[in-house]
Amino acid sequence: MLASSAVQQDGPVEYLNSDDRQEVVLITRPAPAGPPTLIEQTVTYAVSTSVNAALDRLVPVIADAIIERIDLTDVVIEQVDLNRIVNSALDSLDLTQLVIDRVDINAIVAEADIEAVIDRVPIVPLANYVIDAIDLPQIIRDSTSGIAGDAVSTVRKQGVGADQLVARLADRVTFRRRQRKLEAPGEPESLMDRFAADASTTHAPLGDGEKLGDEGNPT
Amino acid sequence: MTSFREYREAMANGTAVAPQGPLLPSDALGFQGERAGFVSRTVAAGIDVALVFLTVLGTVAVFWMISFIVDPMSPGTPVTPSSDRIPSVGIMIVYGYFLNWAYWTVCWATTGRTVGNLVMGLRVINHKGKRVRWVGAAVRAAFCTTFPFGLLWVIVSGANRSVQDVVMRTSVIYDWAVTIPGFIGLKLAEPDASSNE
Repeated sequence: MLASSAVQQDGPVEYLNSDDRQEVVLITRPAPAGPPTLIEQTVTYAVSTSVNAALDRLVPVIADAIIERIDLTDVVIEQVDLNRIVNSALDSLDLTQLVIDRVDINAIVAEADIEAVIDRVPIVPLANYVIDAIDLPQIIRDSTSGIAGDAVSTVRKQGVGADQLVARLADRVTFRRRQRKLEAPGEPESLMDRFAADASTTHAPLGDGEKLGDEGNPT
Repeated sequence: MTSFREYREAMANGTAVAPQGPLLPSDALGFQGERAGFVSRTVAAGIDVALVFLTVLGTVAVFWMISFIVDPMSPGTPVTPSSDRIPSVGIMIVYGYFLNWAYWTVCWATTGRTVGNLVMGLRVINHKGKRVRWVGAAVRAAFCTTFPFGLLWVIVSGANRSVQDVVMRTSVIYDWAVTIPGFIGLKLAEPDASSNE
């Protein structure tokens, strides 16, 4: 018997019993390299075949039994961070491009009830807003001045110009330095509210905040 | 709030009307409501007098044609001179003055505008800015018809007022209503009930 033993490997020697200084040396050798033997292959095949066959039979049965006893929905809701999954999915997707590529928007619009949508739109306030925004009355005034009353307006303008010329000459002759007091009482009909209308007709119902101006009487 | 459906229904029922507004050139807005000057008023009065003159001539023509029904020309009878077939000049002048007075009275009391005023964009108002009442219009028309030279006072007046305006406390203003008042779009001004004119 040896006084000490040690495991002899390819590496250094390890002393197993250092207290009594008795060493046991174990010597191992690596498995010989090379293809498995026929016996090894046969055993491996037999084991894997039998195990796989057993698993094929047992796993579905066991899984069904487990699933029957567990509410997977509750498990997923309780155990899975759905928000994280959804957010992650949304972050990885370009939804706009996806809708454009996959959805037939024209078909949806064709099926939509557009009239129902339009009927809910407050069209008169919208029109009033547009009219105010683009100053439509001024556009009409400027355009119609060249159509309807061009000749009359020309005569009237020339009359006004002649009035002012005669007044200036008279003021110069009479040495009047003060401006003429041309303000007259009342309000001209030409500047009355554009919605003034004949009393025999009525207006469409007005919306909230809408109102008609004074009809008729100048003050 | 008015929806499009309500709007369409109102249009279908004829209860909605398109807004009708005065159509004025933008450069004419500044002097609307100011007292008019001599030239505009003279041209307007001239148009009115010309219309009355044409009406008098038309009346004379009608009388002349009627005279041939009453007194037809036939061979062998003495020829009636043309001067006997139409009214005399004096009667035509009086008739013309009366017609002019009546025309101005009616126009000023109803719309404040004669045809000449409408062409030149003028309107006659009282001292409160309202339409002249019938009595005031009649007196002013008579004054203007018998004393047309009172219009010359507009030239020297500091407020573009004629003698008739000063006496009757009236004014003639620029009021370019393109539409005919009371006929399309615009509503007539109510007469001033408190006025004594």
